[in-house]
Amino acid sequence: MKKDRFLTKGINPTKFHKVSHIALVVLVLVGFVWLSVHLIGLELDFGTLFRYRNRLWQGFLMTILISVGSLVVSLFIGLIAALGQEYKVLFVQYFCKTYVQIIRGTPLLVQIYFFYYIIGTAWGLDNRYVAGIVILSLFEGAYIAEIIRGGIQSIDRQKYEIALSLGLTSYQTFRFVTFPLVLSRIIPALAGQFSSIIKDSSLLSVIAVIELTQTTQEISADNFRMFENYIFVGFLYFLLTFAVSTLSKKWEKRYHYERRI
Amino acid sequence: MKKISCIVFSFLFVFVLLAGCGQKESNTLVVGMELAYPPFETKDDAGNPTGVSVDLAYALGEYLGREVHIENVNWDGLIPSLQTGKVDIVISSMTATEDRAKVVDFSIPYAHSYLALLVNKESGIQSIEDLYDNDRVIAVKKGTTGYIFATTFLTDAKVHSFTSENACVTEVMQGKADAFIYDQLTIYRQNQSHLDTTEAILIPFQEGENWAMAVKSGNSDLLQQVNQFIEIFINDGGFEVITEKYLQKEKEIFDSLGFPWFFSE
Repeated sequence: MKKDRFLTKGINPTKFHKVSHIALVVLVLVGFVWLSVHLIGLELDFGTLFRYRNRLWQGFLMTILISVGSLVVSLFIGLIAALGQEYKVLFVQYFCKTYVQIIRGTPLLVQIYFFYYIIGTAWGLDNRYVAGIVILSLFEGAYIAEIIRGGIQSIDRQKYEIALSLGLTSYQTFRFVTFPLVLSRIIPALAGQFSSIIKDSSLLSVIAVIELTQTTQEISADNFRMFENYIFVGFLYFLLTFAVSTLSKKWEKRYHYERRI
Repeated sequence: MKKISCIVFSFLFVFVLLAGCGQKESNTLVVGMELAYPPFETKDDAGNPTGVSVDLAYALGEYLGREVHIENVNWDGLIPSLQTGKVDIVISSMTATEDRAKVVDFSIPYAHSYLALLVNKESGIQSIEDLYDNDRVIAVKKGTTGYIFATTFLTDAKVHSFTSENACVTEVMQGKADAFIYDQLTIYRQNQSHLDTTEAILIPFQEGENWAMAVKSGNSDLLQQVNQFIEIFINDGGFEVITEKYLQKEKEIFDSLGFPWFFSE
């Protein structure tokens, strides 16, 4: 393979090379942050957070719970909205399209206040945790709908013609052609969206859902160590999103039928 | 190896460059406050800062011979702004609590206030005693003395904390929370604009809180000047002028209810 001037194509770095360069990147980033902190004469003391370990742990679990709950519900909503946009009944089609447009066109913060204080109150949805999951699912569902729609549209007609000529039933076509193909194509985007769910769940703090960010804000009101608190909580969020992206890379490989040799 | 050292040196170079642009010394007095607490700190229709604390800040600037710049900072961010030197002083109706005094230095007090309750009309709450039940839900603003009171003394109640005063009021109006703990004046004003859903319980239930100005821990020069200014301002009747300008109606109501006024000794 031809060696590329800038891209890694055709270059096979050794393990030592990889590890040393990762270490270098970490060193540069840590150095930059350390210098910034040093420049403004800030003294960071993460020891004060130890007192709050139970509350942080509970907030951490609540963030996971809300994110996973929202992921499940938003996948469901997203699938319906994606298929609904192609549905033959015009009402359903327009309804789904309008839903996606409105949700993607307004800030999550506005939606949280609107759904919780107006819709939620009107229909008796007073549990802020359930309401939080519903709001987050409605929000992320619109984005997932677009991801799924894009995945379905990206499959070319030929594949269906081949399936037909092989004599596959419509269920078999879905099971062995559409589903694995769409899945392999949308997994990276879905994983990204799940990371977004985890991060977006922090906004639920405005309706006092006691998740990680709300816990951090409460602790900050208590120990006045805003920087330590937020740096630590950023690290916790990163742990979650990093786990998600690592998992997604694994699945991506597993479902990559097309390029499997 | 050459490449690595090249990268490292270029980063070091950037660091040194960045390190070069330190903060500039300037004569402007940067005053931090949260402009979301009318009539003490708020904005006029044109978006300019106005209110009791704003007038105080300008009077202080005049006394010190320094220009004043008002920096609008979220309540949670006020103390960190002091710590990192983003603002020189905080004048934001802040109560000098023991815990806060551990991280910043407070001036002598210039005002006193009391906590009060805004309760939902259907909650049946008559006084603070009713909040010691565990099935009560209490709304507070994060980091305020109401928040501190609720989390310290009302440990059996469910305390929900919000970033804005209006979220707390909405919670009470909709019955999602039974009570909102805040200062007397705000509770009175909020009650007046939501008479059909809320009730105000204004009887003080703890000792008065002292409002003071805060400076960065260890900034004793500025603190001394500020203390002198407050004494002179009190003696010159500056607070009477401020009361007349911003709080005429409120003072009459407080007088008629027999509550002590913010700026009286």
